[in-house]
Amino acid sequence: MASNRDLLPRESLLWIFAAQFVALLPQLSQLPLWIGFAWAFAVYWRLEVFRGRRDLPGRALKLLVIALTVAGLAQTYQRWFALEPMVALLALSFTLKNLELVSRRDAFVSLLLAYFVAATLFVREQSIPYALYGLIATLVITAALAAQLGSFSARPRRALGLSLRLLAQATPLMLLLFVVMPRLGPLWNVPQDTSAGRTGVSDSMAPGDFTRLSKSAKPALRISFDGPIPPPEQRYWRGLVYSEFDGRTWRQGFGVDPRNGGRVYWNSGERPLPQVGPRYRYQVIQEASRSPWLFALARPASDSAGVGETADDRLVKRSPVYSRFAYEVRSWPRDSQVIQSTLSGAERRRNLQLPADGNLRIRDWVERLRRRGLSGEEISSQLLALYNREFTYTLSPPALGRDSVDEFLFDSQKGFCEHFAGSYVFAMRAAGVPARVVAGYQGGEWVSGEEYLLVREYDAHAWAEIWLDGRGWQRVDPTAAVAPERVRDGLESAAGEEFMRDSLLPVHRFDILVKLRLQWDMINYRWYQTVISFDSEKQRDTLQRLVGELSPLRMALFFATPVAVVLFGILLWTRFTGRGRKQPVVERLYAVFCKRMARAGITRRPGEAPRDFAERIALESPPLAEFSGRATDAFERAGYGGDKEALNELRRLLRWRLGLSFRVSARKNRLMGH
Amino acid sequence: MSVIRDLPRQSSSTSSRNFFRRLGERWLSRRAPRSRDITLNHSRLFILPTRAGLGYLLVTALLWLLATNYENNLVFALTFLLISVFVILPVHTFANLSGLRLQLLGTGAAFAGDFAEAHINLSRADKRQREWIQICWPPEEGAYVDLCEEPSADFRIALPALQRGRIQAPRLRVESRFPLGLFRCWSRIDLDVEFLVYPRPLAAGPLPLGEAQAEGTSGQVRRGGDDYASLKPYQPGDSLRHLAWKQYAAGRDLYSKEYESRTDTRLWLDWELLDGRDVETRLSNLCDWVSQAEKQGIAYGLRIPGTTLPPSLGTEHQQRVLSALALFPKWGG
Repeated sequence: MASNRDLLPRESLLWIFAAQFVALLPQLSQLPLWIGFAWAFAVYWRLEVFRGRRDLPGRALKLLVIALTVAGLAQTYQRWFALEPMVALLALSFTLKNLELVSRRDAFVSLLLAYFVAATLFVREQSIPYALYGLIATLVITAALAAQLGSFSARPRRALGLSLRLLAQATPLMLLLFVVMPRLGPLWNVPQDTSAGRTGVSDSMAPGDFTRLSKSAKPALRISFDGPIPPPEQRYWRGLVYSEFDGRTWRQGFGVDPRNGGRVYWNSGERPLPQVGPRYRYQVIQEASRSPWLFALARPASDSAGVGETADDRLVKRSPVYSRFAYEVRSWPRDSQVIQSTLSGAERRRNLQLPADGNLRIRDWVERLRRRGLSGEEISSQLLALYNREFTYTLSPPALGRDSVDEFLFDSQKGFCEHFAGSYVFAMRAAGVPARVVAGYQGGEWVSGEEYLLVREYDAHAWAEIWLDGRGWQRVDPTAAVAPERVRDGLESAAGEEFMRDSLLPVHRFDILVKLRLQWDMINYRWYQTVISFDSEKQRDTLQRLVGELSPLRMALFFATPVAVVLFGILLWTRFTGRGRKQPVVERLYAVFCKRMARAGITRRPGEAPRDFAERIALESPPLAEFSGRATDAFERAGYGGDKEALNELRRLLRWRLGLSFRVSARKNRLMGH
Repeated sequence: MSVIRDLPRQSSSTSSRNFFRRLGERWLSRRAPRSRDITLNHSRLFILPTRAGLGYLLVTALLWLLATNYENNLVFALTFLLISVFVILPVHTFANLSGLRLQLLGTGAAFAGDFAEAHINLSRADKRQREWIQICWPPEEGAYVDLCEEPSADFRIALPALQRGRIQAPRLRVESRFPLGLFRCWSRIDLDVEFLVYPRPLAAGPLPLGEAQAEGTSGQVRRGGDDYASLKPYQPGDSLRHLAWKQYAAGRDLYSKEYESRTDTRLWLDWELLDGRDVETRLSNLCDWVSQAEKQGIAYGLRIPGTTLPPSLGTEHQQRVLSALALFPKWGG
C-alpha cells in the first residue's frame, strides 16, 4: 500500500496537469480533436475524485476506455509506425494515466511522458518560436517534477525558480555535449506523418499548381555562396524534371523519378565530374518539404551525406526532407561543360512522348511550320515570338478545359509559368525536338546583412529544356519571352498589382514591414546555420577550430579538462561546506598542539581541560613540561583574553619547538618510569 | 498497538546476506561513529539514482534515439539538457543534506509492544533552504522535516519496541530526494539512541492487597489474611489512603493500616506472589500491577530477586520500579 506521503496532494496534481497541458497544447492542432476532449475530461474526472465527489474508474471501465481509444486511434490513423500516431499514442497514454494518478510513481511516469511529447514538437518544426516554446515546456515539466516533493516546493515561484536554476546550471554542459557528442545518423528509417499537407514544388504539374505557390511568402531555400554569385538571370534552381504528359498533367515519368526506375548516383565519384572545376560553390538550407527533391543549379554535385545526383542533373535526398536540411553543392553550368552529343534512344523517345490524341490545333500549327521547312530551333523562336506578341502573364489565369494546351495557346492566351512551359514543351515535342519541363525556383532575394539568397515559395517556377544536337540540353524559359522582368526581378515586379493580392496582410506594400521581415529572416538564417544544420561535418569543423588538429591526446584533454575542473570545484565546495562553522584560529592551533602531543605519546582525553592536560604532560613527560606549559599559557591568553601577541607566540612555539626528538625523549622517559 | 515487525538487527539467521550486512555495519561504525550530535558531511552521505531516476535516463535514451533517427538538433539539445540536469542533480541532492546537524534531545520509555520515541533536533547553520528530509528507522516511515523558513526543527520518531530491556536503536536513516526525486541521498547515522523498554503489561488480576507478609527480605512467605495485628482502629484524621477497605467490606469495623518497622502490611508487589509462572509473565504481571496501583493511588513496593524498592507513589517511583522490571536479567541469559 502506498504510504501517506506517496499519495498525491492537490498541488502536485495541478502541476502535473499544467505540465501535460504545456506539452499537449502545440500538438492539439495536429492531433484529432477528440484527444483534446478526452484529456480535458480525464483531468475533470481526476479533480472530481480529488474533491471526493467521484471514484476512480474501476477496472472494467478502464478497459473499456482503453479499447475505445485504441479503436479511435486505429480509425484516425491507418499506419502505426509513424510520428503522428506515436504522438497521439503518447498523448493518450498520459491522458489515461490521469485516471489512475494515485501514487508518486504514477506522477513520475506521467511527467516523463510529458517530456517526450514536448520533444516530438521539434520533429515537426525547428524554428526559433518553437524552440523557445519547447524551452518553456521543459521548464514547466521540470518544475512539476520538483513540485512532486512536498508542499513548499510546490509553490509556483519556488518550483519554477528551482527548475530555472537547474536548467541554467545544466546549460553549459548541454552546450558542450551538443558540440562534442557524435551524431550517428539515422539508425533505421522513420516514416513520417501521413496527412500533413505538402508545400513547395510537387511531383506533378497541372495548370493552377504554381498559382497556389505564388500566394505564399514562406521561405523555401536559403543559399549562401562560397565565391562568385550567379547573376539573376542564371538563378534557376532545378528540382524536378517532368517528362511525361497525359494531356493535362506533367509527371516525372518512368525512368526519371528515382522512386520509379530513375538512376541516382549516391556518391559523387560514381559519375565522373567535369574536368574543369566548378564555377559555383554554395550551401543550400532547404525548408521541410516532405519530399526528397533538392534544388540546385544545373550540373550539380554534392558531397553531403544522403544526397544523390540524378542522370538529369538534379539532386535528391535519400529520405524526404522532413526538417530543415542543409547541403553543400558545386555546380558546373552547361556552358562550361564539354558538349555531349548523343541522346540515347530511350531518352529521345521519353522526351518526345505525347498523348495519342487531343490538342489538335497546336499539332496542326507545328505541322504547318515543319512543312515550311523550319528547323526545331526556328519553330522555338517562332513560338517565343508569338508568346511575346500576344500573350499576357497573369497570376489569375482563366480555367482551362480538356485540351488545355490548345485552349491556352489559341483562346485565353493568359497564363502563368506552368502554362508557358507546358505548352512550349508540347509544341517542341510535336516538332520532333526532345523537350522536358523543369520545375524548381527561379531568382531569390539577396539578403545583404547575412550574405545569402532567400528563395521563397512564390519564386517557384517552371521552364523548359530542349535537346539540340551538338549543343546538348538547353534551357528555354518561355515565361521570359512574355515577362522578362519575372526572370530578372522576380515575381513581385512581374505580377504587379496581382502580387500577393489575397494575402491577409499586404506586408509587401510597407517598406518597414518588408525590412522587419528580412531582419527576422536573417535571425532565422543564423539559427539554421548554427543550430539546426549542425551535423557531424560541422561538428568536426567546430572541434577543429576549438582544439586544432584532432589528435587523440588533444581530444582527451578537451574532454577531460572541463570534467576535471567541475570535479575539483565540487571537491572544494564539499571542503568548505558541510563541515559546520569554521574553527577560530586559536582552536585550530591548539588542535595542532594536541596532535603533536599525541604523536609524542600523550593523548588529550575527551573533555580534559587544557590546564589539566598541561599538568598531566608535565607529570608524564618532564622534558615537555616547559613547552606545553608555555603553549597552554599562550592558548589561554589568546583564546579567552583575546591577546593577539599570545596568538603569535603560540604560533612561534608550534613552529620552532617541535621536532622528532620529543618523541624519543618522551619514550625514554616512560621506560625509565617503569 | 500490536503491529510487530521484524527489525533488521533482531533477525538472527546467518545467511550470506546477513554476513554482508554485518560487514557493512562494521564498516559504517568505523566511518560514521556513534554520537549524540552529528553533522552530516560528505564522509557520511551516500547518493544513488532512484527508480524514477532510471526511468528518466530511459526517457533521455529514447529521446536520443528520436533525435538520431530524425537528425533533429533541437531534440538533441533537449536530450543533452535533460542529461546535464541529471548530471548536476546529485550535487543539489547532496547539498540538501550536507551541513545538517542532528542532535538527540532525549528518549522516551515505552512498554514492549508499543512504540518508543526519540526526540531529535534538526538544524542548519547556513541559509540554504532544506526540504523533504526523511528521518526514520526503516521500514518505519519516520518523520519528514522541512527546514525552509526556520533554521531548526524538533520532532519525534518512533521505533516499535518488541522486547523489554535496554534497547540500542539501530542506525537512523536520513534521506532526501530533493529536488527532482531522481536521486536519493542518504546517511546512516547512529545518534546513540537507547530506549528503556518496560515489560509488556499482562493482566494478573486485582492488586494483591491484604496478602501482606512479614520480614521483608527473607525468602520465607507466610500466607494468611487473618492477621490483624497490623491494623488499628480507625481514628478521624488518619489518611484515607491507609484505610483497610478489604476488612471494612468484609463487615468489620473501619481499620487503619499501621506502618510499623517490624510488621509490614503495605502493598508489596512481590516476585514470589506469582510463583509458578515464567519469568517474563511474572514481570509483565508486576508491570500491570504497577500501573493499577499508580492509578488507584495505593503506595506500592517492589520485591524481585536482586532488587527491593520500598513502597511509594508518584511518577518517579513508578519509573524506578518499571526500570527495575525492564532491566531484570533475561532468563537463562
